[in-house]
Amino acid sequence: MGLEELAESMGQNVLTTTLGKVIGWGRGNSVWPAQFGLACCAIEMIATATPRLDIGRFGSEAMRASPRQADLMIVSGRVSQKMAPVLRTVYDQMPEPKWVISMGACASTGGVFNNYALLQGVDKIVPVDVYIPGCPPRPEDLLNALMILQERIKAQGIMPRQ
Amino acid sequence: MIADELVADRGVSAGDQWITVSAERVRDAMAALKADGYRLLTFLTCVDHLADSSREWPARFELVYQLRNLETREQLRVRSFVDGDPPHIDSVWDIFPPANWDERETYDLFGIVFNEHPDLTRILMPDDWVGHPLRRDYPVGGEPVDFSEEHEKWLTAPEEA
Amino acid sequence: MSTPQGVTITKTGEQGAFGGELLTVNFGPHHPSTHGVLRLIVDLDGEQIRRVKPVIGYLHTGIEKQMEALRWQQGVVVTDRHDYLSPPINNLAYALAVERLLGVEAPPRANALRVIMSELTRLSSHLVWLGTSGLELGAMSMLMYCFRERDTILDMNEEISGFRMHTSYIRPGGVFADATPRFLEMLDTFTHEMPGHIDEYEALLTMNPIFRSRTIGIGRLSPEDAKVLGASGPMIRGSGIPWDLRKTMPYSGYENYTFEVATSNDCDCYGRYLVRIKEMREAVKILRQALDRLPDGPINVDDRKILPPPREELETSMEAVIHHFKLFTEGYSVPPGDVYVAVESGRGENGCYIVSDGTHKPRRVKFRSASFVNLQALERMALNHMVADMIAIIGTADTVLGDVDR
Repeated sequence: MGLEELAESMGQNVLTTTLGKVIGWGRGNSVWPAQFGLACCAIEMIATATPRLDIGRFGSEAMRASPRQADLMIVSGRVSQKMAPVLRTVYDQMPEPKWVISMGACASTGGVFNNYALLQGVDKIVPVDVYIPGCPPRPEDLLNALMILQERIKAQGIMPRQ
Repeated sequence: MIADELVADRGVSAGDQWITVSAERVRDAMAALKADGYRLLTFLTCVDHLADSSREWPARFELVYQLRNLETREQLRVRSFVDGDPPHIDSVWDIFPPANWDERETYDLFGIVFNEHPDLTRILMPDDWVGHPLRRDYPVGGEPVDFSEEHEKWLTAPEEA
Repeated sequence: MSTPQGVTITKTGEQGAFGGELLTVNFGPHHPSTHGVLRLIVDLDGEQIRRVKPVIGYLHTGIEKQMEALRWQQGVVVTDRHDYLSPPINNLAYALAVERLLGVEAPPRANALRVIMSELTRLSSHLVWLGTSGLELGAMSMLMYCFRERDTILDMNEEISGFRMHTSYIRPGGVFADATPRFLEMLDTFTHEMPGHIDEYEALLTMNPIFRSRTIGIGRLSPEDAKVLGASGPMIRGSGIPWDLRKTMPYSGYENYTFEVATSNDCDCYGRYLVRIKEMREAVKILRQALDRLPDGPINVDDRKILPPPREELETSMEAVIHHFKLFTEGYSVPPGDVYVAVESGRGENGCYIVSDGTHKPRRVKFRSASFVNLQALERMALNHMVADMIAIIGTADTVLGDVDR
C-alpha cells in the first residue's frame, strides 16, 4: 500500500513512468492465486498447474492456501448461498492490490443452474476483473484470462486502483 | 416374511418391487424387514405429489425407502404417505444408521419432521433459510431468462392443486 | 447466519484425558486439503480427535429441483455436474433409469461404448484421487504424474464427444456419437501404455516409508461398521467385503467382461489405496476387452419418439419433421412410475431414482450419492487419531462435495 500513498502524495504532478512500468512488470509477472476451487472448474484449475499447461511459467506457481498471501482470487465453480459469505470474507482478507478472475459459467452468471440455491454470478458480491466462459473452460482459457489480467496490471503501473 | 397386516399395498414398477406401509407402523415394518434380511438402507427420500394427476394418491407427501438384501441381492421399495403441516413420521435412524443424514436432508428440503431424530437441523441450506425448496409449490428461483416461454413461471410458482 | 470461515478456537469446557480442556477447531470450507468445500468441526484433546462433525451444504446447487424444471432429454446435461469427477457414470445412471421406465434397451454397440466411457472415467477419477491424496501427504510429484495421464483421457473424451470433462455423452436411448477411428487408435495406445504408468505410481508410493507410516493403521473401518453405515465402493472393499455393483448387479453388459473385484483386508487407508490401484489395473483390462470386442451396429435405439431422426431424413419425410419438432419443443413423455438404478462409480454406489407422472418433465429425480453416505463414516474412522491424520482420512474417503451437496 505504500506505493499508492507515494503516488497520491506526489499528486498528478510528477510522472512516474519508468518506476510505474517496473512496478507493473513486477506485479504482473508474479500474480499469486489464492486457491478457491469450489467445483468442477477447480479440477481444470489444478490441471493448469500441471506440467502440460504449467501456470508456473506465468509466475503463478505459488498457489497460496492463505488469502493473506495472495493477489488473485480465481473463483472456480458454483457459489451457493451458504458459501457466499465465506467467499466475501476470504476476499476481504486479501490485501490490496487484488484481482478476481471468475472462472466458468457458474461463477460468472450462474451457469446451467438458474435456481434458488446458487448466486447468479459471483460479481454480485465481489468485483470481477476477468470473466471466463465455459463449462468448464479449457485450462488454456484460464491461461488466456491470466494473460489479459497481466496486461492490465502492467498498464496500471503505480496508479492507485479506482 | 413381513406380516401381511403391515402391508397396505404392493406392486411392481419397471421391474422394482414395492410395498406400501402406513405411516404409524413404519418402524415396525422396517424392523420386520431388517429381520428378514434387508439390512441395507440404500436411500430415503420424499416425493411431493401436489397437482399430480397420474393416479389417486393417499396423501401429498410420499416417503420412499429403498432396502436391499446383501445376500440375495433383492431390493424392495417401501412407501409411506404422510400429510399435515408439518408432516410427521417416526425416524428409523436407529434401525438403519444411514438414515440419519438422509432424514435431515428430507427435513431440510421437504419439511417432513422425523420424530425422535437426534439432530433434526438443516443440512444443505443455510441455517436461517425459510421454506423447503424441493416442495412443488416452492419456485425454482433464479433469474428470469428473456425470450424463454418458461421464464415467467420460474419466478412465480405455485402449481395449482 | 453461518459463521465466517477461519480458525475459531473455543474451549468446550470438557476435560480432556491429558488434563487440559477440549478445543473446538474449525476446518473451514476454504481449506487446501478438504477436497472441496467441506467444513469439519473437530473437538481436539491435545492433538487427538475426540469428535468430528461435518457441516456440508456449501456446494448445494439445487440439481434435483433444476431437473424438475427441465425436460427429460435436457436433464442429461445437468446430471454430469453433481459428481464432477465421473460425469459419464452419472449420465449412465440417469439414462438407464429413463430407459427402464420407457421400456427400451440400448443396442450392443452403445453398451460397449458406455462401458468404455465408464472405465475411462473410473481411471480419471482415481487419478485425481491419487494425485490430490499424494499431494496432501507430501508427495507432490504424484499430482504431476497423475494429471499427465488424466490429460490423455480427457483428450479421448474430447475426441469422442467434444468436451473434456462434462461429456453428456450417454443419454437415454444410446450414446451421443459414434467412436471415431482416431478415438479407437488413442484408446489402443492408451491401454498399452497405462499399465506401465500405474507401475510408476506404485514405485513412488507403495513401498515409500513416509506414505506407509501415514496411511497404515490410520482410518480403520471394520467390515461390520462398513456394512452398517451403508458404505460402498473402495470404502467397503477396503474392509474386505467384495461388493461391486458391476459384478453383483451387473448392467450395460458388464457380465460379459472378465475382471476381478479388488479387495483388501487391511481396513485402513493403505488398504483402500491398494484397492484403488488394483481397480485402475482392472479398468485397463476391461478397456482392452471392450476395444477388442467392440460390436458393430447402431449406437442408438431406433425409436423416433425418443431420439431425433438423422438430419438427412428431414428433407424427405414429413413424419421425421414432426418427430423432430415434437422432440425439440415439448420433448418426449415417460410413462408414469418410478424406478431406481444404481451404477458403480469410482466412489461407490451412485444411483438415480426417478419418479415420472407421465408428463414431459420429471416429477422427482433423486441422486443416491456414494459420497454422502461415505462421509457419515468419517467420524468412525477419525476417532482418536491425530489432527494430521485427518487429512489422510478425508483423502481416503474420496468424497466429491458436488455429489454430497447436489
